[in-house]
Amino acid sequence: MEANGREAVEEPLPPGAPPPARAPGIAGLSAPGRVTASAALAAVALTACAHLAAVFLHVAPANTLSKRHAGAVDAWIYPEFEQNWKLFAPNPLQQNIAVEARAQVRTRDGGLVTEAWRDLSAEDGAAIRHSLLPSHTRQNELRRAWDFFTASHDEEDRPVGERGGLSEQYLKRIALNRLRAARPGDGGEIVRIQLRSATRAVAAPVWSDEETDTRTYHRELSWWTV
Amino acid sequence: MVDGVRRARAAAGRALARATGEALGPYQSAVVRIGFATTWLCFLLREFPHRHELYGPDGPWSWELAQKLVGSNHAFTVLLWSDSALWFEAVYALSVAASALLALGWRTRAVSVVFAAGVLSLQNRSVFMGDGGDNVIHLMAMYLVLTRCAQVWSLDARRARRHGSASAGAAGPVLWGALGAVFAFGTVTGRLGHGWVAAFAALWVVCAVWWMVDRYEPRSEARAVLDVLANTVHNAGMLVIAAEVCLIYATAGWYKVQGSRWQDGTALYYPLGLDYFSPWPELSSLLAGSGTLVMLLTYGTVAVQVAFPFTVFQRRVKNVLLAVMVLEHAGIAVLLGLPFFSMAMIAADAVFLPTAFLLWLGARAAGARSGLARRLGRSRPDGPAGAGLPPQRAPGGTAGPGPGPPPSDARAAG
Repeated sequence: MEANGREAVEEPLPPGAPPPARAPGIAGLSAPGRVTASAALAAVALTACAHLAAVFLHVAPANTLSKRHAGAVDAWIYPEFEQNWKLFAPNPLQQNIAVEARAQVRTRDGGLVTEAWRDLSAEDGAAIRHSLLPSHTRQNELRRAWDFFTASHDEEDRPVGERGGLSEQYLKRIALNRLRAARPGDGGEIVRIQLRSATRAVAAPVWSDEETDTRTYHRELSWWTV
Repeated sequence: MVDGVRRARAAAGRALARATGEALGPYQSAVVRIGFATTWLCFLLREFPHRHELYGPDGPWSWELAQKLVGSNHAFTVLLWSDSALWFEAVYALSVAASALLALGWRTRAVSVVFAAGVLSLQNRSVFMGDGGDNVIHLMAMYLVLTRCAQVWSLDARRARRHGSASAGAAGPVLWGALGAVFAFGTVTGRLGHGWVAAFAALWVVCAVWWMVDRYEPRSEARAVLDVLANTVHNAGMLVIAAEVCLIYATAGWYKVQGSRWQDGTALYYPLGLDYFSPWPELSSLLAGSGTLVMLLTYGTVAVQVAFPFTVFQRRVKNVLLAVMVLEHAGIAVLLGLPFFSMAMIAADAVFLPTAFLLWLGARAAGARSGLARRLGRSRPDGPAGAGLPPQRAPGGTAGPGPGPPPSDARAAG
């Protein structure tokens, strides 16, 4: 009541226009209005509940209901309502996966030179360090491109499905951009590039008695022609 | 028995009156709008130097690659309408403008559609550039279109106060015409999917009907019906936003419970040792050095995330957990270098903030504004409350939006 009183002082209605004395909501409407509003209310309520049910089945672990209705749920969720909240779950990532690249270059005198490995992830890390607002180009681009690659390739680095091919081209373009950006003008022409990952586990905390193997393991891809 | 039935009927009637008679949570919806629009605006400005690499036609995720992927998943993006750099720049600039205007609450319904289209266009164009923060913004941008999120703290609310209706002025029809032209182009050239054509057509027609009724028959039955429909959709939208936040925390928490590192109390130690998530290695190793602290934070995180969805009906506990989560996200912003993810999560949390706190925040902001204006020596044409901040008008005051509809002329359009 007090709020309404304050309202009246702050917002005088224009003269000659008394507020209509309607009950709030559906109850204040005429019969056709009530029918329209009731139908809309039912449709909106059903849609909202169906949407939330679909989102729930999408984010929950695979279960009886989500398996039975997988087709309908996926049709509703993908592509715009896709979501994944397993950030650092069930376990956080416990290893640093660095992506390294090297180039084979045709020099001016026609010879082929294989250059040294460059740690592209370390360059990302250096750009992120002491930054309050790290860029997605540094934090997500290469990291997620590598995830995309490994998720769409089998153990022998063979592409799985159409996405495998896309991920190869993506990774290649990222690596090439970065290799080219740091090259001197007359450093020759890049003919082929090779990528590898260097995986090293985060050492167990000093206050724990666990032992962690912190050696670096490499996964080397084949050479890609540019 | 009869008495019980009568009471139940009365309660149902009151619930129906609330669900259709008012747009609940005016301050909460406004703060969610401002939060997400500001987060995306800051992100776009921060990435402005990198915009070509992220979303441009010649970025590493090239236009052709995006076209192949979108060809199979049918995600919405206007950036694939053309591979010209000019089109890309225009879409990026429009996204920036829509974010700023949504934060200010200018022609909010129309601008919220442009905002959502911008978010979806950029994110779906380069889906592998995003992270959890982008995901939240993606969802909330769509949900916000459903809400009447400019009832307070908006230019629309100010226009409604000054001119009696948020539909006043010529900008509405101009905007409607311009957006209609873009929509017609996308439809005629076959660039929009059927679902999107239907959704945009519905929005476009409803906006026109709303504007005409609001302008020419503001006291009519038709206006009242539209008001009820808008309230219904708004309240459903707010329910979906709140439930989405609960689902985020529930899944995040419940999956963690199953993890051995969350069980042995060391989980938080590991992200602190990841090169991609330790912008302040000195700070990270300081925190990682204390087993007790890591253990308490690890267990605390899981406890809060699992518990939150069950506390939303218990105001006091909910508010405590909310404060803890906002603090934790602020910590994540700095410690793990995820500022935009954290901002987005705080904006989502804000849907659960108590009205009393939001009113206090609004009063502080208004005070700071008028203080600043006094110092700059400007005259204030709009009274002490300030342009974007209307006087405190929440019915009910402390316990969330109370009974009784706010006056309809204070409402933002549609």
